[in-house]
Amino acid sequence: MAAAARGLRGLPRALSVPSAARQLHCSAVCLKARAARVRAGKGDKAVTYEQAHAPHHIGHRKGWLSLHTGNLRGEAGAAQRALEDAFLRRFLAGTFPGLLADEAVLKRRGNLLVVCALLGRALPPHKLYFLLGYAETLLGTFYKCPVRLELQTVPARVPYKYL
Amino acid sequence: MCCALGSAFPVSYASRIMQKQYFLPSSNLMGARLAGSHGDTQESKTNPLVSLSDEPETLYKRLSILVKGHDKAVLDSYEYFAVLAAKELGISVEKVDKPPKTIERFTLLKSVHIYKKHRVQYEMRTHYMCLELKYLTSSTAAVYLEYVQRNLPEGVAMEVKKTKIEKIPEHIQKPVWDTLPQVEETEVKS
Repeated sequence: MAAAARGLRGLPRALSVPSAARQLHCSAVCLKARAARVRAGKGDKAVTYEQAHAPHHIGHRKGWLSLHTGNLRGEAGAAQRALEDAFLRRFLAGTFPGLLADEAVLKRRGNLLVVCALLGRALPPHKLYFLLGYAETLLGTFYKCPVRLELQTVPARVPYKYL
Repeated sequence: MCCALGSAFPVSYASRIMQKQYFLPSSNLMGARLAGSHGDTQESKTNPLVSLSDEPETLYKRLSILVKGHDKAVLDSYEYFAVLAAKELGISVEKVDKPPKTIERFTLLKSVHIYKKHRVQYEMRTHYMCLELKYLTSSTAAVYLEYVQRNLPEGVAMEVKKTKIEKIPEHIQKPVWDTLPQVEETEVKS
């Protein structure tokens, strides 16, 4: 270490070794004890049925939001489906800003991807139809599979309880 | 789309090979006009989707369909549907088996850094339902499988195993000892 340093003193600045600092890269933390759970508050936060129940209630009091065969025993493709789902939910949140009443349900039947979403009534119908066509075309071109968006409007979000 | 078998529900076929003979019921109905079946045989001659063939069909002794899913209620409803479809098409159901579910569990540390004693467990449950049908022809199997697969619910996977019946090959039809030449017995002198 000392010998290397002495040898480097004679070198011009441009050829000197960059600082020998170590870097650590880690992925975002998955707070497993707090995932998909709405924390209890003062009683003013309206929460839907889906949000009110924790993940350990899936299969008992809740259904599945994303239906595909990737997580079955002996089937492959779970990671790809999870990535596609994450992108689809962000895409929908961006295409229909502030309109989604509840989480969208994603269903995969063979090659076909069906997205079932509940929207609020803030936008007039012709704009909704445009966004529907836009989303279907763009997602279909992106994922190279037929994508069908099944939208339904509801007057308001239905609160299950207040936390 | 016309349904050549005259079953209760609409079926769509891409293409299928049909037996050349279509057996009508017996002589006591000779005078009566069976509009459905007679019309069907006439339509099948002109229908471009139905092709007739002279080659013998492959026969299946057993068609085993294993269906896997996360939700038992979905599998139960699909079992009712598949058994009903088989009965409507006249396919005999050998048995409906429900193997026990398999659970894939894994345990992770709850925290990012330390706290080894506090962990989180996840599991994935797979429920199964095995439907066994017996004595089918290849065209019946193709029709049934296509109908049942087009109506497979999302999140459900299917595996199909077919057991073919074949004729015994010629070289083993007769026992070997009939064809071998007679071996002369040598006497053992003690």
